Amino acid sequence: MRVLCCLDGTNIEQISRAVSTMLQPDTRTIGLLYVLDSGPLGEIERQRERFFRGPHPPMARREQMRQAEQASTRDILEEGNRYLPGAEQLQREGRPEREIVQCATDWAADLIVICPRSPKNPGPPLGPKSVGHVARFVLDHAPCAVLLVRGTEIK
Amino acid sequence: MLLFFHLPTLTKTLLISLVALLTLIGIMVRPFKLNEATIAMSGAALLLIIGLINPLDVLTTLSSDWNTFFFFLGMMSLSALAEAAGLFDWLAAQAARLAGGSSKRLLLNTFLLGTMITMVLSNDATALILTPIVYTLVTRLRLPVIPFLFACTFIADSASFLLPVSNPINIIILSSFRLDLWTFLRLLFLPDLVVISINIGIFFLLYRRQIQGKFDAKRLPSAAESIRHPAYFRYTCTALLLIALAYIIASALQIPLSLVASGGAFILFFGALLWKQITFKDLGKQISWSIFGFIGGMFIIVRAVENTGLTTQFGQLLIHLSGGTSFGAVVVGTTGSAIGTNLINNIPMAIVMRAALGAAGHVAPTTRLGFIVATIFGCDLGPNLTTVGSLATILWLLILRRRNLDVSGLDYFKVGILVTPLMLLAGALTIWLLLL
Repeated sequence: MRVLCCLDGTNIEQISRAVSTMLQPDTRTIGLLYVLDSGPLGEIERQRERFFRGPHPPMARREQMRQAEQASTRDILEEGNRYLPGAEQLQREGRPEREIVQCATDWAADLIVICPRSPKNPGPPLGPKSVGHVARFVLDHAPCAVLLVRGTEIK
Repeated sequence: MLLFFHLPTLTKTLLISLVALLTLIGIMVRPFKLNEATIAMSGAALLLIIGLINPLDVLTTLSSDWNTFFFFLGMMSLSALAEAAGLFDWLAAQAARLAGGSSKRLLLNTFLLGTMITMVLSNDATALILTPIVYTLVTRLRLPVIPFLFACTFIADSASFLLPVSNPINIIILSSFRLDLWTFLRLLFLPDLVVISINIGIFFLLYRRQIQGKFDAKRLPSAAESIRHPAYFRYTCTALLLIALAYIIASALQIPLSLVASGGAFILFFGALLWKQITFKDLGKQISWSIFGFIGGMFIIVRAVENTGLTTQFGQLLIHLSGGTSFGAVVVGTTGSAIGTNLINNIPMAIVMRAALGAAGHVAPTTRLGFIVATIFGCDLGPNLTTVGSLATILWLLILRRRNLDVSGLDYFKVGILVTPLMLLAGALTIWLLLL
């Protein structure tokens, strides 16, 4: 079974616990996906346009931002590998919800494992708004089964 | 051309109004993604070509506003030269270090740093230079980006009426209405502190979950890493301190602030050339030249409208709506400027309000003062209402959302619509109390 785990930099413990509980190591192929959200960069571009500048910051600044993004992505994926050794690392850039769905298709995932929200922004454990917009989009559009890993507080 | 033909006043007024209206609509809608400067300059050129404004009038209008043009030039150069020294990166690294690993304290320090930069180097520096630096920093620290990014976006406007130099809009308005430094500080400094406190308070409430916990300080870059050339860095710090002092003295003595901004930029540029930290070409790239076309175009269009007497009527309407009281002046001035600024951008709104108030005729001094201060306040803070740009953009985003397209801009709008009215209300109330 090809399992695509969606990381956000804070949820690896929950994801790895769920995967380890449900699937034996010899029956699974794990993909660790981290999507670098392009939304904040869009906001920076909008700000620049408001102040009559071109959309992109100067080259040196862009490079600095790019390096920080890459370092952070590498960190998150390597951390994921410590919890789920041998997993394939996948990284994308764009709107997370769309990239997850697209990656699941491209990687031929059988199962997507995702948290309803970032543990840093938990929201209500059940009921309306308990599922954030990224997970909601994935649930609505995923090309395969989706495992929604809720927080421990529900117990 | 039409200068050679006699046109009835009414026809001339209608034609000028039509061009002005189309220009403002063009700025709001930006057809074919046209730059606002192109639209404003086209409107001004049209008025000039068809003879609805006298070329001499154009020259007089542009030359009388030299202070605004040179201030914009000086301000943008100062920020670019300070950035070349690595000052903003160094300050951000220090702010992060002082947070002691606490995400909450880092958010607070981002606000304080943004306030400090805006106060001395204007909102432009905070929004354009500090924002990507903070983005890089929080990405490295693996913290949620949005609260910190928004902190920069919001504080750039929220802190922009602490001093006359904190926002070029202030210079546009003060070029016509001379307020001494004491009056400016008396009526706007305290309201700005109130606004900044509300801004910080609401952000801590809104993002309380995201900013919980600690960050790993080992991920922070060293402050020394930010300094590209120690001698130029020291030179820049000393020069900026002197420039800040000169700003205060010039404001107190009512000396045009563009002289300090341009003079300061020249001093920094000299140092940058000496230590080979920037070239003339690089500095030129950091400056938004189109803004001069935009402001110039708007000055000409509003001048043509002024000639028709429409701005006088608009000014009288404002006075009438305010009921001639200082309370009314603050309410009408703030509301009108804040809404207008989201419709047509704050620069044209400030120019329109300036023309209207200048031609409004006799009003009580307190009411007049109330209008001037409220205009500065509304035009400076108003853009926070629709952080994505303008109400026209918001409407477009709403249409897109209806078509099931994911639009992140609306998420930003939600914060603006929640925070800004509260800040406008509290700030306007404080201004009114200070006017009494």
